[in-house]
Amino acid sequence: MTLYGFLFYVLAAVVTASTAVAVTRRNLVHAVVYLIFSYFGTAMLFYLLGAPLLAALEVIIYAGAVMVLFLFVVMMIRVEASGEHFFPLSQWIPAALFSLVYLAAGSVLMLAAPGTEIPLKMLTAAPRDFGLYVLQNHWFFIEVISLLLLVALIGALQLGRKQEGLSREEEG
Amino acid sequence: MIVPFSHILLLAGVLFSLGMFCALARRNLIMIVLGIEIMLNGASIAFVGSALHWQQLEGQAFVLFILAVAAAEVSLGLAILLHAFRRTGSFDPEAYNSLK
Amino acid sequence: MTGFSAETLTLPTVALATLLPFAAFVVILLFTRSRPRLSAAVAVGVSSVSLAGTLVLLTLHWNMEKPVQHTARWLVSGTIEIGMGYLLDPVSLLMLAVVAAVSFLIQVYSLGYMAGDPGFSRYFAFMSLFVWAMFNLVVSPTMFQLYIFWELVGLSSYLLIGFWYEKLMASQAGKKAFVMTRLGDAAMFLGILLVLLHLGNLDILEMDSPKAAASMSPELLTLSALLIFGGIVGKSAQFPLLTWLPDAMQGPTPVSALLHSSTMVAAGIYLYERLYPFFLFSRTAMTVGLAVGTVSMLLASTMAMVNRDIKQIWAYSTISQLGFMLMGLDAGSLFSGAFHLTTHAAFKALLFLCSGVFIHRYATNDIFELGRQGCRSLKIPMACLIIAAGALSGLPLLSGFFSKEVILGSLAELSNPLWLGAGLLGVFLTSYYAFRLVFILLFPGESGPGHGEAPEASAPSHGSAHSRFHEWILDGPLIVLAGVTLLLGLFQVPLEQFLRGGEISGLHWPDPLHHPVLPYVSVALAALGLGLSWVEFGRRGAPRVGFVERLPGLFRLFSQRWYLDHVYGFLVDRGIDRGISRLLYLNDHKVIDGFVDGTAESTAAGGRITAFLHTGMIQYRLLTTFAVVVFLALYFFL
Repeated sequence: MTLYGFLFYVLAAVVTASTAVAVTRRNLVHAVVYLIFSYFGTAMLFYLLGAPLLAALEVIIYAGAVMVLFLFVVMMIRVEASGEHFFPLSQWIPAALFSLVYLAAGSVLMLAAPGTEIPLKMLTAAPRDFGLYVLQNHWFFIEVISLLLLVALIGALQLGRKQEGLSREEEG
Repeated sequence: MIVPFSHILLLAGVLFSLGMFCALARRNLIMIVLGIEIMLNGASIAFVGSALHWQQLEGQAFVLFILAVAAAEVSLGLAILLHAFRRTGSFDPEAYNSLK
Repeated sequence: MTGFSAETLTLPTVALATLLPFAAFVVILLFTRSRPRLSAAVAVGVSSVSLAGTLVLLTLHWNMEKPVQHTARWLVSGTIEIGMGYLLDPVSLLMLAVVAAVSFLIQVYSLGYMAGDPGFSRYFAFMSLFVWAMFNLVVSPTMFQLYIFWELVGLSSYLLIGFWYEKLMASQAGKKAFVMTRLGDAAMFLGILLVLLHLGNLDILEMDSPKAAASMSPELLTLSALLIFGGIVGKSAQFPLLTWLPDAMQGPTPVSALLHSSTMVAAGIYLYERLYPFFLFSRTAMTVGLAVGTVSMLLASTMAMVNRDIKQIWAYSTISQLGFMLMGLDAGSLFSGAFHLTTHAAFKALLFLCSGVFIHRYATNDIFELGRQGCRSLKIPMACLIIAAGALSGLPLLSGFFSKEVILGSLAELSNPLWLGAGLLGVFLTSYYAFRLVFILLFPGESGPGHGEAPEASAPSHGSAHSRFHEWILDGPLIVLAGVTLLLGLFQVPLEQFLRGGEISGLHWPDPLHHPVLPYVSVALAALGLGLSWVEFGRRGAPRVGFVERLPGLFRLFSQRWYLDHVYGFLVDRGIDRGISRLLYLNDHKVIDGFVDGTAESTAAGGRITAFLHTGMIQYRLLTTFAVVVFLALYFFL
């Protein structure tokens, strides 16, 4: 096994472990922090798989903005850690069952498809080339995304208003 | 030579199922949104791996879009969540089953 | 007169004679229900037409060489063809004459007996129904038609027994009669099916021919003969299905006279005569029949010896005499059974009709009560009663004597002397109980056992509207029947010759002079019975207590009908009611209802369980969404 392969497995283990731990934390802040850790691992995975720009973007946007947003909300509301009815039996057994089913189904689909045993070759997409590619071929979608972000912004603004605005929101 | 493509897909699948588990089994609305984020993360890994497998940049471009959409969706989602919290005073989905 | 030959006249005559009563039934029920006199006129008129038709047929076919049959296609299924029509041979002609004559006389009698009854029209309608069914039973060419009319006769018996349906005992007696005969009919139906399976059709002539013996193995022949004999046991009230007949006396006396002494219960014997060659194929069945007849005869005689109800005594006597007829038939002589059937029809109907006059007048069935009330003041009925009782006992020169001699003669031909001994014992017992009744009626004493224990009268007492017409109409049939009883014995030889014709094979004609001692023995036994009853009941200062009553155990046994009813009650109660019915009820309740209800409930429960997917937390809906997507993916990509 090459070094990169070994690296991949290590990173995969890290990502999986931290996500698993994040899912099972009672304290929300802990869960978010573990998830940030997972995203760092994912970013390194992206770099390994030849997408350095994406790795950077993952850290900046995902781990840096989205998770911080989560932290803001969690700390603002101060959700009681023990307020949650933690993993009720009637809920987590079907969910776990279904996840296993999903995994099994996914594996079956994967193994049925040809050509997936071939080891991947190392390749890196330089950020400059990647950016050119995106803006040349998918510039429209970039515009759409900007619109989307605008809409999200307006929506979040409107939803986050104080009570008077909210009462009008309720009727509307 | 890194790893077979199927391993990457497997990793993506595991992450996705973990995210699904989080969305379905936690009694907290914030954890549901978190689960969605985990699922999106898993999908991104799958896309990047596919891009490497078929040596096309489409996969990575799509991950870019996923990132953007995830950001927009989280912000709006959390805003809705806060709004709902102010109305019902609880993050438990049990409190949101007035359709029963 | 060229057109009026036997061939052309037969069909319309038979059709008229046998189908008119049904028209009478329909007309009375639908149109003349509210006009009793018109209903009676219709019924009696139709009955006289049938009688005339029967006499015409008798004269036309007196010397018939082979049976006359005419069938129309009725049931066709594959290779099975069953027709409906008529079959005339000496046996059926004789029975037809008996039924027509007796029913005509009894319907005339009923004009007087049932006068004033609110159900007058209904009575005549049911009588016509019965007559129609009986006629068609007699002339049926196939077992299929015979079975249909067998059941119809049973139906009219049920309707007529329970005629006074407001009386609980009457309707219960009707039910009992119907159910018990049904048991026999079920066996008969199985026998018919067996024959149909192997023979291919149910033609009586074919069943009587050697073809039937060729198409079925001996065991099957015995089995089907025994099964058909089961139907005879039920209908003719033989052992063990005999307890319905005494209870059937709840019906009006003319009904008892017509149905339950002369014609309907004789239908079983008639069937035996019809299928006589068929039964001859199986010696085992004949021996079984002989045993059943003997047992019934003796059993019923003992039951008659201790009874107080006039009609029930004659009912037991009917059972006993039918058993006697069966003995004669099973001993190998067709003529003995047929002859005794004819004479028995006459004198038993006479006995019942005389008793009916007494019951009608004094409104009680108890013989001690009747005697005490002075029934011997009614001269004509009393005289006819004595004549008929004499015929029943087999006193010389009365018709019963001749027919009994024929039977005893054929019994003497058997190798086992046991049967003849039983027959002679039956003669003694018959004479004893018949004259016990006569003497109790004739010479009432003060010391009769039990003053106030009179059994309930079977006829609700009508007002005593005794006009001359009334008495004449009640006594007229009595005189006619008494005359027949006196004279029929002299017709033995012509009747025998008549029955010989018609190509009925395998018959045995015992020579009455073969056993010169036998008539004297039987007359001596009859006289002994008469003498014993005279000693106990008749002479002045008689103790009026039968020798049986001195043995209380025996008395109880006889009067409780040898506990047969108790056995039946036990069987029905424990076996059927608590056993089979309970099982079936449990099956219906738990299994079937449980299954149906369970399906419904599980559906509802399933609905309740899956309802939460729709109306519960959003995470359940999320789960459903994911599941659907996964399965769709599997479906499309695999």
